[in-house]
Amino acid sequence: MASLSIQNVKKSYGAIEVLKGIDLDLEDGEFLVLLGPSGCGKSTLLNMIAGLDTITDGEILIDQNVVNDVHPKDRDIAMVFQSYALYPNMSVARNIGFGLEMRKVTKEDREKRVDEAARMLQIDHLSDRKPAQLSGGQRQRVAMGRALVRDPEIFLFDEPLSNLDAKLRVEMRTEIKKLHQRLGTTMVYVTHDQIEAMTLASRIAILREGEVQQFASPQEVYEKPANMYVAGFVGSPPMNFVPAAVVSEDGKLGVSIERTANGNRSSVFLALPDDRQDIGDWVGRDVILGIRPETLTHRSDAEISLNKGLQAFDCQVEVLEPTGADTLTYIELGGREVIARVNPYNTTAPGETMAFMVDMGKASLFDPKTELRI
Amino acid sequence: MADLSALPGGKSPWQSAARFGLYTLLLIFAAYYILPLIVVLSTSLKDLDEIRNGTLLSLPTEINFDAWGYAWNEACIGVSCTGLKPYFWNSVAMTIPAVLISTLLGALTGYSLTKFKFKGANLIFAMILFGCFIPFQVVLLPMAQSLGYLRIANTVPGLVLVHIVYGLPFTVLFFRNYYVNIPDDLIKAATIDGAGFFMIFWRIMLPLSPPIIVVTIIWQFTQIWNDFLFGASFTTGGGQPVTVALNNLVNTTTGVKRYNVDMAAALITAAPTLVVYVLAGRYFVRGLTAGSVKG
Repeated sequence: MASLSIQNVKKSYGAIEVLKGIDLDLEDGEFLVLLGPSGCGKSTLLNMIAGLDTITDGEILIDQNVVNDVHPKDRDIAMVFQSYALYPNMSVARNIGFGLEMRKVTKEDREKRVDEAARMLQIDHLSDRKPAQLSGGQRQRVAMGRALVRDPEIFLFDEPLSNLDAKLRVEMRTEIKKLHQRLGTTMVYVTHDQIEAMTLASRIAILREGEVQQFASPQEVYEKPANMYVAGFVGSPPMNFVPAAVVSEDGKLGVSIERTANGNRSSVFLALPDDRQDIGDWVGRDVILGIRPETLTHRSDAEISLNKGLQAFDCQVEVLEPTGADTLTYIELGGREVIARVNPYNTTAPGETMAFMVDMGKASLFDPKTELRI
Repeated sequence: MADLSALPGGKSPWQSAARFGLYTLLLIFAAYYILPLIVVLSTSLKDLDEIRNGTLLSLPTEINFDAWGYAWNEACIGVSCTGLKPYFWNSVAMTIPAVLISTLLGALTGYSLTKFKFKGANLIFAMILFGCFIPFQVVLLPMAQSLGYLRIANTVPGLVLVHIVYGLPFTVLFFRNYYVNIPDDLIKAATIDGAGFFMIFWRIMLPLSPPIIVVTIIWQFTQIWNDFLFGASFTTGGGQPVTVALNNLVNTTTGVKRYNVDMAAALITAAPTLVVYVLAGRYFVRGLTAGSVKG
């Protein structure tokens, strides 16, 4: 187990800057997920941690030791590849044991450890098979076994689940989570799947065009996204962005939003909770209000009396999309399409006006110019 | 693959007629191509009287291997009447090391050009590739000079060197194009596992290479065994390969022209390449198309 520190790491290929100064600090035993779209530099960063790619500038420290010039094999890391990268000519057992063989571990010791790892991943009955004779999920397990058997300081995962079908992906996700809980080893995991990131991570680093947008726990990333990019990337369906104006009404600050109700176009005032009354500078200016679909639902007076953050308003319903558990209700606020998560038994037919409530305590405000959180 | 002829609606009289025509044509061409071999083979089994009295296409009345034995043991090549035997072994001693070394070096070069890419690797590959287009004749003089400097002119090791150098562009081309399709992740995984350059080559790349190794060996074997120009240019007398000896055997006339001996000698000379094709030919086609279809 080890801590990992990435300090102002940069990577350029010729004139193209792929990573523009990454700073991340990981405690021993953390699970870091590097999340971002393809081409954001997350795999490059992982390769640099592994030592498979050189560092243009900055430092990477494993357990307080700078490893910039340390060969991958001496970094005490193990990596699971997206393509699994199993050696096609070797049996499952040889694949898992190859790293130990290269490290001159004795045959008896090697066999014991390979057997242990295989049993932990429930692939011990496949030891003599070649990778070509395995299913996708089994190959994935062998790839993990190969990392596991080495008992490394840090595990690196490069989109390990993206080649699996949906059902298997969810199963393996849980397996990886269990593995982390059992081993307690530091892990770095690259993915573009925000659900994988949310479920696995102890902390998520969201990357975009070679820069870290936010580095925080999944809950914080979800509830307090640092900017509109993060807010839009994490969560499904994504956060709603509503153009609004900050106004003061009855001595309280809030936002004013245009919408249609009962056939009339008018503004509605949604007061901000007491702990968000610190945005006096913004009165009279435009902001973007970010609302998660599940914080916007049908009106319930009982809940409103309990939670001061809940604000009620009426709005015309445009489209309904039942998903079973909830019905996604499309409405229009401030000229934008907005999704509300409504209990299927409280929906209103499209075209009718419905009473909604929104939890302003969980809403985010963004500067429309910089797109940063206010 | 689906059997196209078994598809419904494929049994009309016109289609049967077309099929008949097609096979007739194929048989005519097959006969046309096999005929020279049949003539050579049957002539080598006749005795001289029969050759003189019979026609070219007539089959031997009795199978007679005398001409083969004579070509192998007694035929005169220039002034020495030793048969093809010593020259055949010259060719073996030249071809086997040249094939093995050029194949191994090609594999190693192809591996470093694809998996341990360095700046300018593609340029170097392009330059190596250029070597495939250099005609034999162009390198004769510089090669003769080099062999002289190295003091291996007119020796079998000299010919081995010539064939390794001339064969490398082809073997590099084969291996480079094969290895470029092997995923880089394998090399990365092995690097993290602690394997170095040669360890990865021996333990991972070579075990994945049999199809391309077969292709390269067949190609190189045929090229080197069949070579005449280098053999004729760089060797004289006892150091000659069998192809040159065959030429001299046919051109050495002591009295009567023994056609049956000439034919037997030609077949002996061609036999090794034929054997290689028969044994490994199917791998040749498989290897050339490897990677075009997902395994």
